[in-house]
Amino acid sequence: MLHRMNAWTKMALLGIVVVFVIVLMDLYLIALLFAATVAFYSLGRLPLRLLVGWYSMPVLFVVTISILFMFTEPGEELASIELLGRRVAVTDNGVLLLVKLLLRALAVVTFSLAVFMTTKYSHIAQIASRTLPQSLANVFLLSYRFTFETTDEMSDVIDAIHARNGNLVRGASRQTKLFAGIFALAFVHAFERAERIAKAMEARGFNGTFPMAEKLPRPGVGGYAVVSLTALALAAVTYSRYVEDLFGWW
Amino acid sequence: MRGLRRRAQMAHIHLEDGAFTIFWVAVWTLAAMALLALPLLKLGGKNIPTRKLAIASMCVAVGFAIFQVEIPVFGGIHINLTPFIGILVGPSLGSLTVLVINVFSAAVGHGGWGMIGANTIVNLVEVFLGYYIYRAMRTRVKTGRFTAGFGAAFFALAVSAFIVVGIVTASEIQDSTQTRDETFRNMLILAAANLVAAVMEGVVTGYIVSYIGKVRPDLLDDVEGRGKDETTLRAEEGTPHV
Repeated sequence: MLHRMNAWTKMALLGIVVVFVIVLMDLYLIALLFAATVAFYSLGRLPLRLLVGWYSMPVLFVVTISILFMFTEPGEELASIELLGRRVAVTDNGVLLLVKLLLRALAVVTFSLAVFMTTKYSHIAQIASRTLPQSLANVFLLSYRFTFETTDEMSDVIDAIHARNGNLVRGASRQTKLFAGIFALAFVHAFERAERIAKAMEARGFNGTFPMAEKLPRPGVGGYAVVSLTALALAAVTYSRYVEDLFGWW
Repeated sequence: MRGLRRRAQMAHIHLEDGAFTIFWVAVWTLAAMALLALPLLKLGGKNIPTRKLAIASMCVAVGFAIFQVEIPVFGGIHINLTPFIGILVGPSLGSLTVLVINVFSAAVGHGGWGMIGANTIVNLVEVFLGYYIYRAMRTRVKTGRFTAGFGAAFFALAVSAFIVVGIVTASEIQDSTQTRDETFRNMLILAAANLVAAVMEGVVTGYIVSYIGKVRPDLLDDVEGRGKDETTLRAEEGTPHV
């Protein structure tokens, strides 16, 4: 179902989810939003194990930013330890802050991955070329074609190194040199590939815009309805936060 | 994508969605747009030469791939190489490159969609400082490539770590009841930890620049102040499309 959903509808919903996580303040509503994004992801029959793997990055970033707030946020102490003669305590508000930030970040990541894993390249290309400035859209479209290929190439080189006992290389300096060599080679290859691509593009009469082979249709009535309803919900939450509390009963 | 592992240390932090209020998200987005306008104009606006377009695109692909790799030293380091991208492609093309890397990264949760502005400002500082410090060290101080690469990456990342402190302190974390002073103190500890990672990325950058200097020294011609003859320049620029 998600695979057949119009790309404009999915992108509009992604934008709404991003604003939702910024505007929502209530923990239960944020948790509900997160659950909704996981349900959306599942609707596309996408692998949940892969999703958990992708969570490692946002979790690390959120924890790094908010870990100190867990100890310094005013609130009721949940646990404490003596560290270098000083008492360090985790507070309830500190934990709450971390949980909220985590749920917000993960809600967006889940939705974003669902959108990009179920949308065809040609549709993303159409949206990028219509919404971004031309030069930016060109870089985006050209790099999008090669991103996965380059990532796989780099993984292959690392796998090849491991297959040849490269993981037995010991010492920070040698390991760092080894990986620096891989990265440097990747950039050298990137330049060589760029030169070939540029020549090929010019030979084919590239005039500053990439031709679009497939047209992206407008959203259907259902798509407009879904986007309108979620936008309405967003408007209510925003009004409730900035003008008058509509969810006081919660 | 294979090769994805748990990260232990990062040379800089990417901010995730939901950390700032809508006001600050708008402020940093507008600031990033203003900062990006200059390099975009310098590159020729809509008429970026095909070769530069291709180089920026391929650097985005490699930069994004490197984001996914962890170097297995000191428990694992995750690097961004943004100062190196600045050294390699220059500040204008580098700015465009890091912006698109941030867009891709947002798609996989490596920084938020709403935070593309704030994250791009941090990266722009790294690209600009990486390029100009390396150039100054090579052309004026006349240091070796490793030293120049290390110095450029370390100082660029050190400054960017404090830019992150500034951005988070000014914006304040949503839901936190702490004052700006308290937030600043918390973030300073984070910046100190980032400095350690900056040293490591500096070493990696030093090695990469030395390697490229051996196999393709021509790629460093611009940043090392070696002039190019007119024929080479014309061939590199390609035909600007109309």
